[in-house]
Amino acid sequence: MLALILCVGFGVMQLRRTWLQRSLLTTPVAEVASHRELVRFAVAQARPLFAHDCASCHGADMKGRISTGAPDLTDKNWLYGDGSVLQIERTILYGVRSGHKKTHDVTEMPAFGQRGQLDEAAIDNVVQYLLELNGRPHDAQAAALGTEVFNGASSCGDCHGPDARGNSDYGAPDLTINVWDYGGSPQALRDSIYYGRHGVMPAWSGKLTLGQIRALSIYVYAVSHG
Amino acid sequence: MRTLVALALVAGLAGLGVAGAVLFRPFDRTPTAVPPGDVALVNGAPILTNDFMIEVEAVEGQPFADVAPAVRARILHEMIDEELMVQRALALDLPEQDTGVRASLVGGVKALVTAPIQAEPPTDDELRAYYAAHRGHYGTKGSMTLTDLVLHVGGSGDAPQSVSQALADAAQAAYELRSGAALDTVEQHFGMADSGKVSGVEQDFAAKAHLGAKLYAVALTLGDGQVSEPIADADGVHLLVMQHRQAPIFTDYDAVRNNVYADYALARQTPAERANLRLLRRKADIVLAPGQSE
Repeated sequence: MLALILCVGFGVMQLRRTWLQRSLLTTPVAEVASHRELVRFAVAQARPLFAHDCASCHGADMKGRISTGAPDLTDKNWLYGDGSVLQIERTILYGVRSGHKKTHDVTEMPAFGQRGQLDEAAIDNVVQYLLELNGRPHDAQAAALGTEVFNGASSCGDCHGPDARGNSDYGAPDLTINVWDYGGSPQALRDSIYYGRHGVMPAWSGKLTLGQIRALSIYVYAVSHG
Repeated sequence: MRTLVALALVAGLAGLGVAGAVLFRPFDRTPTAVPPGDVALVNGAPILTNDFMIEVEAVEGQPFADVAPAVRARILHEMIDEELMVQRALALDLPEQDTGVRASLVGGVKALVTAPIQAEPPTDDELRAYYAAHRGHYGTKGSMTLTDLVLHVGGSGDAPQSVSQALADAAQAAYELRSGAALDTVEQHFGMADSGKVSGVEQDFAAKAHLGAKLYAVALTLGDGQVSEPIADADGVHLLVMQHRQAPIFTDYDAVRNNVYADYALARQTPAERANLRLLRRKADIVLAPGQSE
């Protein structure tokens, strides 16, 4: 009798699991995050995947790593896309500068210093401007000069926007919210401008199944949206 | 009691049936069914829902949900057309026929292989070392206009001549040239002739190729109007008369940092590409026809 009950229970569980797995992909992507049961299922499936495949760069706590520039996945700031499940999935599928033809690779942060396009003084002025933008202690005179560089010689505004609020089409971060993938110290900011940045994320298309990628996308979405 | 047992049996059998159906059902019983996560299958090749939605949003510039179904259908139609064309290209074996397709495929593999390398920015020391090693690439190339006179050992007509005699004659010829004697006069007097190795303005690389390393090394030491010491070479004793020397001008590192950076970024990809090719070759079965080598 017990065996029969167990069999029934097992069968029902398998059926349910299959249904959930299928629903992950068949539910319209814009709605999937509002299905609590699906989200729970996706999170349970994605956690070990994240630990295995993503944590080495983004950290087990998903807070990102300054050393690699892997962004914090727990906030609502997105280098690429609008943070929807669709866009997160896009990034996981094809990565960033992964070499995949569909990857995010419109541009990169140029090495303004190394390429000789800005000298040290100009870079320092831009750093002061960034500090000012974020309400941090700064040299007002240098920041004023930095504003001119930002919108003039260096054309920073072309990617980050004239208001420095970033552009997720280019992967250009918002520079006004004090969130810095490579660190926000004056030295780190100077290094970003001097050496440029060229973050890379591998494409997981072909390495993970579509279902796994969808589960990871929902997981990241769920974490970042509380 | 009997009813209970019967119900339990029925339920158990139903459970086993469900479990069996789930566990052992064929993965895809209907080959034409579009798998979840895909929006279409084109001869079995999937078009991802994500690709479709992103394409719709990119083309229309608005959220997918706001795009009219007819527009979505048109874009899907176009994506299917593209997939059909790609499949046709493969069926026609375009990679074998079309050099552009081949180049694109090669470029695609290189991009995949070298992508991770670009994540690590070069250091200033690396860039300076690269500049130092390739300084000649940055600036104007050198050039020279010179005459290469040769005195063939063995004499030119009247008497056998040893190398030492030829060297002595060439030294005298050099002296006279330095004293203002005309080239023609010296040629005639000492039986020397233009080797014909160089003519007109020669870029440094061309002069090196034409003169050979030994004579080129001497030529580099000469300024405008200078005459070399005699140089014994395989075909005789040479005198180099430099009419005009334009030394290469190396551009300062700071002036070409942008170029150095770009060149270095390109150069650092080469080892990764080679490593990838070594790996491919290890896994490949390459057979050469008799007498062929690579």
